[in-house]
Amino acid sequence: MIGILASVVDGVLVGAVYGLAAMGLTLIWGVMNVINLSHGAIIVLGMFVVYFLTGATGVSAYVGIPVVVVVGFVAGIIIYWMSVNRVIGRPILMSLLATFSLNMIIIGLATAAWTTSPYNVPVSLPGITVQNYTFTGTHIMAAIIAGAIAGILYLFLHYTRPGKAIRAVASNRDAAELNGIPTRQVLAMAFGLGVALACVSGALIATLFPFTVLSGGAYQLKSFVVTVLGGLGNPAGALLGGIALGMVEGLATPFTPVSWTPIIEFGLFVLTLIAFPRGIFAFTKA
Amino acid sequence: MTEGANGALLLDVEELEAGYDDVQILWGISLKVKAGTMTTLVGANGAGKTTTLRAITGAIRPMGGRVTFGGEDVTRLSTHAKAARGLVLVPEGRQLYPDMTVEENLEMGAYAARARKRYDDHLEKVYALFPRLKERRRQRAGTFSGGEQQMLAIARGLMSDPRILIIDELSLGLAPVVVQQLVVTLKSLKEEGTTILLVEQNVHLALALSDYTYVIAEGHSFTEGPSSEVAAKPEVRQAYLGL
Repeated sequence: MIGILASVVDGVLVGAVYGLAAMGLTLIWGVMNVINLSHGAIIVLGMFVVYFLTGATGVSAYVGIPVVVVVGFVAGIIIYWMSVNRVIGRPILMSLLATFSLNMIIIGLATAAWTTSPYNVPVSLPGITVQNYTFTGTHIMAAIIAGAIAGILYLFLHYTRPGKAIRAVASNRDAAELNGIPTRQVLAMAFGLGVALACVSGALIATLFPFTVLSGGAYQLKSFVVTVLGGLGNPAGALLGGIALGMVEGLATPFTPVSWTPIIEFGLFVLTLIAFPRGIFAFTKA
Repeated sequence: MTEGANGALLLDVEELEAGYDDVQILWGISLKVKAGTMTTLVGANGAGKTTTLRAITGAIRPMGGRVTFGGEDVTRLSTHAKAARGLVLVPEGRQLYPDMTVEENLEMGAYAARARKRYDDHLEKVYALFPRLKERRRQRAGTFSGGEQQMLAIARGLMSDPRILIIDELSLGLAPVVVQQLVVTLKSLKEEGTTILLVEQNVHLALALSDYTYVIAEGHSFTEGPSSEVAAKPEVRQAYLGL
């Protein structure tokens, strides 16, 4: 029994990181109605940024997190002006194609540069042992960082001028323009934030598991499940959705082979879409 | 919010042509607004009133003609750049941010640098004008009644430090008693010297409130003149006042 509980708690820890990844996806959707299909590739970029940073400088992966945020934010703004800005307000297929092609470009270049062999970021942190079960230090740390970043995002969106401008633009872009808000710049900033969140989640995942250039796909799919659980366009719901998904994984692992995890996740995805098409945590919409 | 030289030409719209895709709606609308006056633009449904405002503010790109504001040609400027210069529109249907509080809505009104500098002054003034907004400043705008939302929309417009305040459909969908309150507010704004361009489907109200009136029909300028003279014109009385 305690074993199952430990597995669930560990699932919650990892789930917080899924939530962080999904927050990036859902923020972009909520503000500009763009489903970012390059989300997975951007998560992988975050993994490699932290990999090369720790490799080159020898600093701890956690010290590298602020660097990952900055790199992600700048990359997101560049991506916005190069690609996304052209498809804002156009049919959804346009933005799907634009971000999907971006996904292909990033993965293609990354494969050429780094091949598809596995990498890992060595991190050693003492775990916490309760009775016979040890909770991995990296999992605890990743969850703490994910929670802290989610909290910072909430404070930013509700208590700073640029954050409020993002909410205003998400709510009514025409009105925001009339108020003198340069909405395209605000969209670029929001996209930068969404990409930064995805990159940081990637960096944290890199401290938990080995990864390859192609790892992004799985986390992108998890992000979709999480956003559907949390209500698309709702960052607070995304964190809860991530934790919920982590719990489900934690519950499932003691009983089922790992290869069943995606089946359980997508079963949950379909059931949620049928029963709660607006998301289970939609009521928490900020 | 007052313009230095009262009576000076502030907004000059010349031969404006605009529309959507290949449907042209405006075929040469001209109007002038002098500083410190209240001007109205009236016309039947579908005459092109809202399209005129959208073309002036830059929500749609004019196909022809020119918009000059405070002596500067602003025809091709983006909407937010015009708002930052004090060309402020309170749009039809209020267009508030329903999930944001009253004060957050007002803060967004003062987003541009020029308005931000006088944020505290304007907030105080707006709360004096609409005490109910002050009482409910932490409440979400979406929970308000139509009349309260219109108050908030006007207040948000005032937060932008307007050199001209353009109001699209002040009275639409509001109870008569609420409209009366808003009329009182507009009169006091006008007395303070705020320049107002009012677009109104209630022609009686518009003619009674304003100094000067433009009537448009089917995308063309129909007639214009001091409001009392326009109100006396037989063709206006027949077509718009039902007399």
